[in-house]
Amino acid sequence: MRALVVEDDKDLNRQLVTALGDAGYAVDTALDGEEGYFLGDTEPYDVVILDIGLPKMDGISILEQWRRSERKMPVIILTARDRWSDKVTGMDAGADDYLAKPFHMEELLARVRAQVRRASGHAKAEIECGPLRLDTKSARVTCEGQQVKLTSHEFRLLAYLMHHNGRVVSRTELVEHLYDQDFDRDSNTIEVFIGRLRKKIPVDVIQTVRGLGYRMSHGSDEV
Amino acid sequence: MRFNSLAFRLFATSAAWTLLVLPLAGYLIYALYREDVQVSFDAQLKKLLTALAVDSMNTTGDQPVPPQNLYEPLFEVTHSGWYWQVRPLDNAQGRTLVSSSLASEVLPSPYDRKFPTDLTGTRWMNVPGPHGETIRILEVIDTPGHEPDKTKYSVIVAGPLNWLEETVAKFRNRLTTALSLFGLGLMGVTLFQVRFGLLPLRRIEQGLSSIRSGAAAKLDGQLPAEIEPLQSELNALIQSNNEIVDRARTQVGNLAHALKTPLAVITNEAREDKSPFASKVAQQAQIMRDQVSHYLDRARMAASAGAIGRVTPFEPVAEPLVRALERINRDKGIAIRMSVDRDAKFQGEKQDLEEMLGNLLDNACKWGRKNVQLKATVSPLDVKSKTRRLAITVEDDGPGLTDEQRKKIGKRGMRLDETKPGSGLGLSIVSDLATSYRGSMALEASPLGGLLVRLDLPAV
Repeated sequence: MRALVVEDDKDLNRQLVTALGDAGYAVDTALDGEEGYFLGDTEPYDVVILDIGLPKMDGISILEQWRRSERKMPVIILTARDRWSDKVTGMDAGADDYLAKPFHMEELLARVRAQVRRASGHAKAEIECGPLRLDTKSARVTCEGQQVKLTSHEFRLLAYLMHHNGRVVSRTELVEHLYDQDFDRDSNTIEVFIGRLRKKIPVDVIQTVRGLGYRMSHGSDEV
Repeated sequence: MRFNSLAFRLFATSAAWTLLVLPLAGYLIYALYREDVQVSFDAQLKKLLTALAVDSMNTTGDQPVPPQNLYEPLFEVTHSGWYWQVRPLDNAQGRTLVSSSLASEVLPSPYDRKFPTDLTGTRWMNVPGPHGETIRILEVIDTPGHEPDKTKYSVIVAGPLNWLEETVAKFRNRLTTALSLFGLGLMGVTLFQVRFGLLPLRRIEQGLSSIRSGAAAKLDGQLPAEIEPLQSELNALIQSNNEIVDRARTQVGNLAHALKTPLAVITNEAREDKSPFASKVAQQAQIMRDQVSHYLDRARMAASAGAIGRVTPFEPVAEPLVRALERINRDKGIAIRMSVDRDAKFQGEKQDLEEMLGNLLDNACKWGRKNVQLKATVSPLDVKSKTRRLAITVEDDGPGLTDEQRKKIGKRGMRLDETKPGSGLGLSIVSDLATSYRGSMALEASPLGGLLVRLDLPAV
C-alpha cells in the first residue's frame, strides 16, 4: 500500500511517515502544497494524508483539483481548524475523512486502514482468502489459525494482493503501490518476494497469470 | 416629556423666552397707547379751551359773551363730565358763564390753587368733579376783547379722566387677551417644532433596535443633514464591530493552528517513548490540548456574543452538514432524515449554529445504528415578546442514555467519558452556546430508541 503525506510541519511529517512506514505502507512525503499536488496527481496512491494549511497551495484547492481530474484515491484531511464549517468545506471538496489536530497516531492509522479497505471494497477489518487471514488492525497474517511470519516487504506485497483478491494485479501496479518514489523499479524483486511468499504460505493462493501478473484466489473460490 | 430630554431643553428655553418677552412687549405697547390716548385727550381739551376763549372773549364790550360753537354735545348733558366755565378772577365783578352740564356747580380754578402755567399760559389740574368723577381741568386767563386793562377772567374747560381710564383699561384687556393667545400659540408651535424636529432621532432609535434584533444590517434611510454624520458613524461602528468579531474568530483559528500542530507532535513523540518522562510529557500535553480546545471554544463564544444582529437561515447550514456527515459515515450506512421548516432562521452567528448542529449530528451518527433524524420548526410569533423560537431536535436509534446518565450530562461541562479524546459527547459546548443565545438544551429518550437532544434557540 502506498501512502502520501502532505504536511508542512517537519516533525509531524516525520512522525506520520514513521508511523505509516511501521504499519507497512510505502510512504511518499511533501512539505508544501505544490509538491503534494504534483505527487498526488502523478503517482498512484492508496491513501493520502493531506494537511489543509499548507504553503504555496492550500489543501482544499489541491483536493478540488485532484477530484476535478478524476483522482479518486481516499483522502484524509488533517487540520488544526476543527470548526464544522471547515469540516464541511473539506468534505465538500471531496475528502473521505477528517481528523482534527492534535490527534493520536492510532486514531489516524485506524482511519487510514478503514479508507484503504473501503476503497478496495472490504467492510471488515479482517480480509480472508480461503484459510489465509489478514488482520489489518494488528498487521498479522494467519493460515488456518497459524501465524505466518513475514518481513515488512513480504507483508506489504501480500496485503496489497489480499486487498485486491480475486483481481489480476500487474507487476507494474505492484511496484507502483508497494514502493515509494525513490525505489529502484527496474529490479525484479517482485518475483523474488512472490517466490518467498509462496514458500512461507502453506496453501497455494497466489496464482501467476501469464503475461498479466498475479491473482490471489483459493481453489474453493473458483468456479 | 422627561426633564432630561432634548425636547424638554428646547421647549423650556423657548417657553422661558416667550414668558419673558411677551409681558415686556405688552407693557410697552400699553404704555405707548396710554400716552397716545392722554396726548390726544389733552389736545382735544386744549382745542375746546381755545375755541371757548376765542368765542367768549371775542367782544368789544366789558363782559364775555356766551360761546357760539363748541362742537361738543356732551357740554349740554348734565354731569356728563364735560364742562366749561368762564368766571371773573379774584371774585371781581363780572359775568359768569357755564355749560349747562355743570348745572349749579362751580369748578375750582387752578389759578386760585397756584398751579403753574405751561409754555402756552395754560394751567392743568386733576380734581374730583361735581359728580364725584375725576376730571381734568384746563384754564387760561383772558380778558374781554383780549385787552390787557379789562377784568381778567378765568376760562376753564374740563373733561372726564374716567373716560380716558376706561378706554385704556379696555385696550389693556384686549391686549392681554391677544398676547396670551399669541403666547399659547407660540408654545404650541414650539412643541410641534420640537417633536417634528426630533423625529429623525426617533427613527434612529427604531433603526438601532431593528439592527439589534437582526432585522437590518445598518441604519438606512435619508436622515437630515445634521444627524447624517451620526448615521454614518454608527454604521461605521457597526461594521467595525462586525469586523472585530470576524478578526477575533480568525485570530482564534490562527491560534488553534499555531498550537495544535506542535501539540500533535509532542503527543505523538511522547507516546512513542515508554519512559516515565515521556508519559509525564504525554499527560501534560493532553491537559494542554484539553485546555486549548476549552478556551478556544470559549473565545469563539465570547466573540459571537459581541456580534450585532446576525441572522442565519437554517436549511443552508443543516444541508451541507448532513451531506458531510453521511459521507463520513458512509461505511456505516447511516441515513439522516431531515424535516425542516424551509424559512426557519436562527437569530445568531452561522458558525455557532454549525457548531451546535455539527456536534449533535456527529454524536447521533456515532451512536446511532442506521437512522438519525433532524427536525427544526419555528414557533408562531409570540404576541407579548414579539419573538419567535427555533425548536431543533436531533435523535438517533442507538443505545441512548439512561435517566441517570442524562441527568449527569445535563449539568454543564460534564462529560460521560473524559479520558478518551473525541469520546466526549461535545454536548457541553452545545449547551454553552445555546445558553449564550438565551436558549437551552435538553436531553430526552427518543422514540427511535436512542438519545433525543432538544435545542431551543431564538428565531427571526
